[in-house]
Amino acid sequence: MIAKVIFDMIKAKNIMTRDVITISKDSTIMEAVKLMVSKSVSGLVVVERNKPIAIVSENDIIKGIVSKKTNVQDVMDNEFMIVSPLTTFSEINKSLKEKKIKRFPVVENDKLIGLITETDIIEATRDFTRFHQIVQEAILAIFGFATAFFLFYFSPVGASVFG
Amino acid sequence: MARVNKVMLTDVPTLKKEAKIGEAAKLLAQNQVGCAVITEDNKPIGIVTELDFVRNLASKGKSLKENVSKIMTSPVTLMTPAMKLDEALKIIDTKKFRRYPVVENETLVGLVTKKDVVNAISDNLRLHRNIQNVVLILFVLFEFFVFVIYRYIYQYLPFGF
Repeated sequence: MIAKVIFDMIKAKNIMTRDVITISKDSTIMEAVKLMVSKSVSGLVVVERNKPIAIVSENDIIKGIVSKKTNVQDVMDNEFMIVSPLTTFSEINKSLKEKKIKRFPVVENDKLIGLITETDIIEATRDFTRFHQIVQEAILAIFGFATAFFLFYFSPVGASVFG
Repeated sequence: MARVNKVMLTDVPTLKKEAKIGEAAKLLAQNQVGCAVITEDNKPIGIVTELDFVRNLASKGKSLKENVSKIMTSPVTLMTPAMKLDEALKIIDTKKFRRYPVVENETLVGLVTKKDVVNAISDNLRLHRNIQNVVLILFVLFEFFVFVIYRYIYQYLPFGF
């Protein structure tokens, strides 16, 4: 229950990467590769008039090289899900696990403002597991102290101390 | 705490060290794991990931005919099936890799990824918290019960409060 509340507090805008590297669908695979290597990212968003239309990942590039394609257009794939900045973390995590979608472009007012990758989700899972653990421990401590005080207050010794 | 053998992948794509880069590319294109382990007599000596491939082959223009050992990451950090998940996470945090071959008696038995380790730890902790919550509720109920009982029996107690 606490997990649900905490996981719903996390929105897409909190975990996304803001510098999205984009490419047009008419570029060649080599351009895509150079862009990937120079920006050290593992995937590019293919945009048309500032709208994401596909994703190119390292895997797509390798498939392209193996089958001797030259254009980004021939290798890009449509396995992505557009999310809004306010989409909750649990929803994104669910799509990652069930539909095997690995990249989530974040779009606000028809503009691409960020990208959520698997790495972002892993890091977020770690951070929030840690945070959740702290919340849980705090609740346990409060309960513990309250119970101890309660016990003492109503015990005969406590009664003689507090009157 | 669970161990590495619970979360590892047992179906690992492997290549002999004599293989060519082109074969590695085909293997990487086919599987979803995103890497291939290079073995010598069933012992992992290196790893080729999609990143190595894209970085080396494309930017430095190595041809598909060359030996795969030119682009592999070697030596590779290994894990054992009996390793605890938090030890594994410690290694992952210091080495900063995402994929680690698992070996037992110098033989490759699996592959463990950062994602699987983090998810397993997160699930484990969730179970742990649920148990904590149940114990807490039982404890509070028990205390309440003791208070109620105490009101009725304290007059018969032999010690004089």
